[in-house]
Amino acid sequence: MVTRDDIIKIAKLAKLSVEDDEIEALTHDMAEIIGFADTISSAVQDGFEGFDDINNITNAFHEDVVQESFDRELILKNRDGGEQGCFMVKKRSGRI
Amino acid sequence: MSWEMVAGLETHVELSTKTKIFCQCTTEFGGDPNTHCCPVCIGLPGTLPKLNKAVVEYAVKAGLATNCKIRNISKMDRKNYVYPDLPKAYQISQYDKPLCENGFITLSSGKNINITRIHIEEDAGKLIHERGDTYIDYNRGGVPLIEIVSEPDIRSIDEAVEYIEKLRLIMKYIGVSDVKMQEGSLRCDVNISIRKHGEEKFGTRAEIKNMNSLNFIAKAMEFEFNRQVDILENGGCVEQETRRYNAEQNITESMRGKEDADDYRYFRDPDLVTISISDDEIKNIKNSLPELPGEKLKRFTEEFALPMDDAELLTKYKKIAEYFESSCKNVTNKKLVSNYILGQIFRRLSTDTEKEEFLIKVSPEQLNELVLLTENKKLSSNMARNVLEQMLDTGKGVMSFISESDMEGIDESDLRAICEKAVTNNQKAAEEYKSGKEKAIGSIIGFIMKETKGKADAAKATEIVKQLIIKS
Amino acid sequence: MSKITYIGKLLRDKEISCTELTEKYIKSIEAENKKLNAYVNITAETAMKTAKNVDEKISRGEILLPLEGIPMTLKDNISTKNIETTCCSNILKGYVPIYDATVWDILKNQNAVLLGKANMDEFAMGSSCETSCFGGALNPYSTNHVAGGSSGGAAAAVGGNIAVYGLGSDTGGSVRQPASFCGLVGLKPTYGTVSRYGLIAYASSLDQIGPITTSVEDAAIVYDAISLYDKNDATSQGSKTKTTHTLKNSIKGMKIGIAKEYFEGIRDDVRESVESAVKVYESLGAEVVSISIPQLKHALPVYYILACAEASSNLGRYDGIRYGYKTPSYNDINDMICKTRSEGFGKEVKRRIMLGTYVLSAGYYDAYYKKAQQLRGALVNAFKDAFKKCDVIVSPTVPMTAFELNFTQKDPIETYMTDILTVPVNIAGLPAVSVPCGFDNKGLPIGMQIIGNSFDDAKILNAAYQYEQAVKNHTFKELETGVRL
Repeated sequence: MVTRDDIIKIAKLAKLSVEDDEIEALTHDMAEIIGFADTISSAVQDGFEGFDDINNITNAFHEDVVQESFDRELILKNRDGGEQGCFMVKKRSGRI
Repeated sequence: MSWEMVAGLETHVELSTKTKIFCQCTTEFGGDPNTHCCPVCIGLPGTLPKLNKAVVEYAVKAGLATNCKIRNISKMDRKNYVYPDLPKAYQISQYDKPLCENGFITLSSGKNINITRIHIEEDAGKLIHERGDTYIDYNRGGVPLIEIVSEPDIRSIDEAVEYIEKLRLIMKYIGVSDVKMQEGSLRCDVNISIRKHGEEKFGTRAEIKNMNSLNFIAKAMEFEFNRQVDILENGGCVEQETRRYNAEQNITESMRGKEDADDYRYFRDPDLVTISISDDEIKNIKNSLPELPGEKLKRFTEEFALPMDDAELLTKYKKIAEYFESSCKNVTNKKLVSNYILGQIFRRLSTDTEKEEFLIKVSPEQLNELVLLTENKKLSSNMARNVLEQMLDTGKGVMSFISESDMEGIDESDLRAICEKAVTNNQKAAEEYKSGKEKAIGSIIGFIMKETKGKADAAKATEIVKQLIIKS
Repeated sequence: MSKITYIGKLLRDKEISCTELTEKYIKSIEAENKKLNAYVNITAETAMKTAKNVDEKISRGEILLPLEGIPMTLKDNISTKNIETTCCSNILKGYVPIYDATVWDILKNQNAVLLGKANMDEFAMGSSCETSCFGGALNPYSTNHVAGGSSGGAAAAVGGNIAVYGLGSDTGGSVRQPASFCGLVGLKPTYGTVSRYGLIAYASSLDQIGPITTSVEDAAIVYDAISLYDKNDATSQGSKTKTTHTLKNSIKGMKIGIAKEYFEGIRDDVRESVESAVKVYESLGAEVVSISIPQLKHALPVYYILACAEASSNLGRYDGIRYGYKTPSYNDINDMICKTRSEGFGKEVKRRIMLGTYVLSAGYYDAYYKKAQQLRGALVNAFKDAFKKCDVIVSPTVPMTAFELNFTQKDPIETYMTDILTVPVNIAGLPAVSVPCGFDNKGLPIGMQIIGNSFDDAKILNAAYQYEQAVKNHTFKELETGVRL
């Protein structure tokens, strides 16, 4: 059963801010989806080795040889850099 | 009944591979912000990680050097948490199949501190807070780390410090990290709890995060121990929480409690493939390991017959140990070499860093030449000391400072004649010595050394002078 | 002659210059896109520049590669340097990549003419293209119906003749389903044969880039060009053989597996179309084998658990710090991140992030994620066993034809159900292709899915080609819209 508290907890983990009036609908949706996912719980697969590798390949490594990094201008291209060539987040912003 | 400390350490060691763990940007320390970055290590959408081969090798070395079992099959997992220094919002780490498990480190007392596991993971970027604004530099993001997790076997601050020092030395010896604590390439989290002596059950622990100085670790542990004792003795309960050490006030303070503990939602990283290491590969890496500090110490005391104190000082720094061994070639009395290094040379290296770097002008071959000359009595020890000082100043070899005649030595009758002359010329000192002022003899010996340009055997000269004065 | 081959011939024979060709497409896009909403970003300038290069090459008498000068489109989750790439999400509006996805790097080096970025469901999460922040792409057969999803834009563009081919991505059917809805060929290659580097991740262990084309031969040509080993993708292996070489091989004696589970709950007309396609196979000398894969019944929940779990992690990085949307007002960094994400992501994306976070969180991991992984393993093995009995498995691609507009907005579960036939191959990493096999009574296309064993991409394309050639005249139809050549 998905509860209101679950939704608040999960939203916090997922870094989503959920407004009070959204919680109700979201709880309902999630309960329905989780109920759907629950259909697998009856599928008895105990003892089956947890499968976690789709392509069965091993040891795809990169060699320890330096390649030139990107120009900082490009690295910061999608965000105005702070004065010191850093990504920057102001303490607070806007009307608050 | 008194309280006992129970502590376990999580030690993060930055590996000194040339490139980052999942891309080929340099791992070089420093650099202008965000200049050691590429789309992969700033986590741009669509980029994929590829594991650095050397990281696996280095971690296996670290595991073998700390007596761990190495897993043949291992994998990478995602540890999910959102924080500005983590550009993908997850750290790629290892969860339930770490590369290395079940090792230990032996302290000088003979006690083993068990190592639960060593796993590989990526470092985060650096946050700089200025007037509440946050600046982010991802140069360090993606630098490879190993996390070495100990069992809660540590019972005192001294044990914790020794454990870290031993760990540091091993990592340095096997060349997997420069372990510079001031640059953050070795950092520790300490889990600490207390219990009454004789009790089996562990108390509730607090975790002190991210300290990069032995001094801070010791201070933090001391404060935390006393804090917990105070709480329990006043009938309170220690809370399970994460704390940080505040160096300015020398206290530990709460960061977050148990109820705020992160839920990391670990799962296998689908972008990375299985790591497979065969027993043969493990064996090869094991064979490639250099002699470890513990083994070296044993050899220095047993084979080289060095006193334990000497051996400990010499093995404490990898470069010095190597220097010592190279200087020992064909030398019978290894203690002679040790004396020069721990005496005259060490006087020139006052700080730990200087010893670590061991930048001295005299090569091991040059020192070896000097020691052989003294050992074969071609040079008096006194003269050798003078010559070494000059060598250390200039970087020139022994022969630049002595002549053939210097090496001829002084025969007994010549020495006796010079000693007589010295006593005659220093009557006042001779008188004083006779009346019990032992030190007065120094100026007479000084005269002899001056006369012989240091060639005289000081011990022998002292003996003769004493006889002469007593007889007079 | 396939469309790519035909246009290539026109260029080589100098019947048309690449510049003229490209101009035709761009002009057509300007007219048709208002109707279809296939493109979210038209890259006319880049296209014309490439066309000029191709023309120069032709005038120098140089030999053109198969895809050189062919106008095409990329789904907007494929990273293109200096060209905005949004995943059709508000959270990535304005994001301009600084690197190329490997597939685009390959095609760009062959002078592929990129006409623009194609519409899609936001972060590829959807079955109708309607979760796109730009609104959905419409079906060229009927604009009262969706083009399908998530690669709806690419399908609408190719179906509407305003692109020769498109690259989509298929996580649970996102190439095959819109191909099926728009009467096209859609290939979901074996996992690992096409590099994912630069494909903005939805669910990493399921995502695979594939072509949407008007014929099987075109799909094979595009697949052969892009299925190369890529050192930037640790899961990349490349394809082992060229698929174009074996298209014309006879399929006499080929064993066509029919699993009854794939025909349950299917709309009658769709089932009948596929059944008659199977008869065509028999007439071509193939042998029909009945098989059963009971594990298929868990595929849908397993897919949603795994895909959402991976998505919740993959989409954590959209925090407003390095790129993309950033909320204008906030209290502190954590507040900035939460507001940015809540305002930037659409409803369906948030729903899947929440579900994924839930199934991975402490206390639920074992019941959902772990169990789903176990069932994934069981399905992989079940397919392995099935392919001991047959060469390929044939099924409908979707249980119905294209949805009416807003169908998917009503009930998430009902929408998820429509993916039931496409998700199993993603779970098992297998190749599958959707080919048109008829029309419903509204004239909407029906698709047949041909599934192969791992790395049997050539085999399924061979089977698809043989069917296509046998029935061409009554199941394939080129619409009278877009570019006429």
